[in-house]
Amino acid sequence: MAMGSIADTLWDVVICGTGLQQSLLALSLSRSGKNILHIDPNDYYGGAEAAFSLQEAESWVDRLATEDKGLFRSASITKPDVTGLSFPRAYSLALAPQLIHARSELLSQLVSSRAYRQVEFLAVGSFYIFKAPLGPDQQPSLVRIPSTREDVFSTTAISAKAKRGLMKFLKFVLDYHSPEQRDAWKPFADKPLVDFLQEHFKMDAELKTYIITLTLSLDGRISTEDGLAIIQRHLTSMGHFGPGFAALYPKWGGISEIAQVACRAGAVGGAVYMLDTGIKSMATAADEIELELSSGDKVKTKLLVRGDEKVGDGPSISRLVAVVGSSLKSLFESTIEGAPTPCVAVVALPAGSLTVSGEATTSPVYVFAHSSGTGECPNGQSVLYLTTMATSNAREVLNSALGSFLSAMEQDQAPQCLYQLYYEQAAGVKQSRLDELTLDLPGPSLSLSMDDSMLKHVREAWQKVVGETVDDAEYMVFTDREPVDDDDYE
Amino acid sequence: MASDDALPTLKILLIGPSGAGKSALLMRYCDDEFDPDTAAATIGIDFKIKRLAVRGKPYRLTLFDTAGQERFRTLSTSFYRGAHGVILVYDISNRASFLSMERWFDEATANTVEDVALYLVGAKLDKASHSREVTAEEGLALAEQHGASFCEASSKTSENVRRPFVEIVNQIVQTPGLLTNATAKRRSGTVVVDSTTNGGYLPSLPNCAC
Repeated sequence: MAMGSIADTLWDVVICGTGLQQSLLALSLSRSGKNILHIDPNDYYGGAEAAFSLQEAESWVDRLATEDKGLFRSASITKPDVTGLSFPRAYSLALAPQLIHARSELLSQLVSSRAYRQVEFLAVGSFYIFKAPLGPDQQPSLVRIPSTREDVFSTTAISAKAKRGLMKFLKFVLDYHSPEQRDAWKPFADKPLVDFLQEHFKMDAELKTYIITLTLSLDGRISTEDGLAIIQRHLTSMGHFGPGFAALYPKWGGISEIAQVACRAGAVGGAVYMLDTGIKSMATAADEIELELSSGDKVKTKLLVRGDEKVGDGPSISRLVAVVGSSLKSLFESTIEGAPTPCVAVVALPAGSLTVSGEATTSPVYVFAHSSGTGECPNGQSVLYLTTMATSNAREVLNSALGSFLSAMEQDQAPQCLYQLYYEQAAGVKQSRLDELTLDLPGPSLSLSMDDSMLKHVREAWQKVVGETVDDAEYMVFTDREPVDDDDYE
Repeated sequence: MASDDALPTLKILLIGPSGAGKSALLMRYCDDEFDPDTAAATIGIDFKIKRLAVRGKPYRLTLFDTAGQERFRTLSTSFYRGAHGVILVYDISNRASFLSMERWFDEATANTVEDVALYLVGAKLDKASHSREVTAEEGLALAEQHGASFCEASSKTSENVRRPFVEIVNQIVQTPGLLTNATAKRRSGTVVVDSTTNGGYLPSLPNCAC
């Protein structure tokens, strides 16, 4: 791109927003030779998937208080009166800390597009279930979910009968697309997975909780069809990139990092980037759109791709991000010889395991514990990401879950909480919408693990920009950009 | 030549305002090329690799240009991650480019580790005789203020082109804390997702024997 004014170019596409989808679109177009202007009304990358320093988190919360930010609301920061918090940039708090399963199509695309080289992937370790104390003098505890055959054999946490049931189920899931297994689950396809586990496997409540936790279902009511697909992905991902883990997490703030790397690839390919620049107004003429940007620039484009920021009709979630003054070491031990040290652990507090204002909780609370190995906090601290369905008392539920989780961690003295960021996130629109010269990608996913269905919308947008004549097989398949390589030994 | 993987890899960034001469410096140093007509921003180059021996020890430099993201100051935090050194470039014949360096220093220090090596380069030294707008003393003073080293260089004449690279590597290798993550090929906990470099690890379905 020559350094002319951005108004002089007729852009092939203006992409607005740097969330994961828009950024992947920029990556997919990075070798297309198209003229691309990529803008974001925010002054940071990542949109709803951004990662913030404490300072950035504070300005985000302040802005939410004064202007409508679409999907986010009720954001607040609490700093208990304790010492131990480091400087603001020592933290990188992810707004959407999603796990990426080894078998996720996203990883294949990052590898084939060569973008993965700039991302450091970490292993996600064990999944745990929180057990409420049995009596008034007892402590709560965490029980690790066995999720491989070896695990099931060696665990002492469940009975021999439960082991047989679990083994039978794991075997079933690996083969669930075969004709005879289909017959078993098809009648339950749209019904909750728990019902199928009850009817077909006669599982007890505890075992059902194990299985549902592996799906990370926010309401615990995931359908049989979706649930089986997710568990199969989990099981087949186990060991895919090395022993002992099924999912990955990008260091320094999760998918925010992928969005940034994808945008860099876009820039290397010639796309022009402007942050803190939104669309003030737009006018459509024949076959182009004229945009007035908040910077005052007027630009013309053949296509505008945005992320839909409208609230969709799904339920909202509540999130609590907590920095704690302990490394929570016991959560991040590898369970298998030769496995990489995990930096993320998943803990579920099942529905009913907490009592808040006299009532048992009705949905699970998931806690993603991140060690300082994620680069999201300094050594000796951890970041906890708690998520549950948004209800009128979700905030109390999350606070109670945080307290219960921490008391399960240390028997004598619970680790101190140094910082809390609370917010609610509404579900976005689920479908993309093409309207002549404007394409709106669906809203961000609320899923706790990478939802690959998002990728197909990006691919459709790519096809729209490059035209139908370009072979779909070329999508996201690039060779390494050849670095010049020679010696300077004098 | 030592096997590439065995060499400590140093990540060095070139930042500064558009048109300061970052890419020209990189092209001259890596390819010994200078094209007076390519004033346009660099497209298609992610980073360059150069092997450089300092104090008799070879290093593998990965040199990252801003890929045009300096234009509206949209370099991402991920761009700065893991950088061992940052070379900040301004144009000695353009006062505005010099005046913008304070912000570039701020951005570099805010996004990198505390003991990162910094180097300030006044580029386009060949223009000194007829259109210099920044004195060498001013450049040096600014560099010292930020704990950076300094020189002026010309990609056109090649004068001093090697110097910033050699000196910043020298600075890096004398900072032990910076070097530790350059020598470990892969930090523990990092997962290799590219199957071709997966050490022959064969993915297999767990549990499928039952």
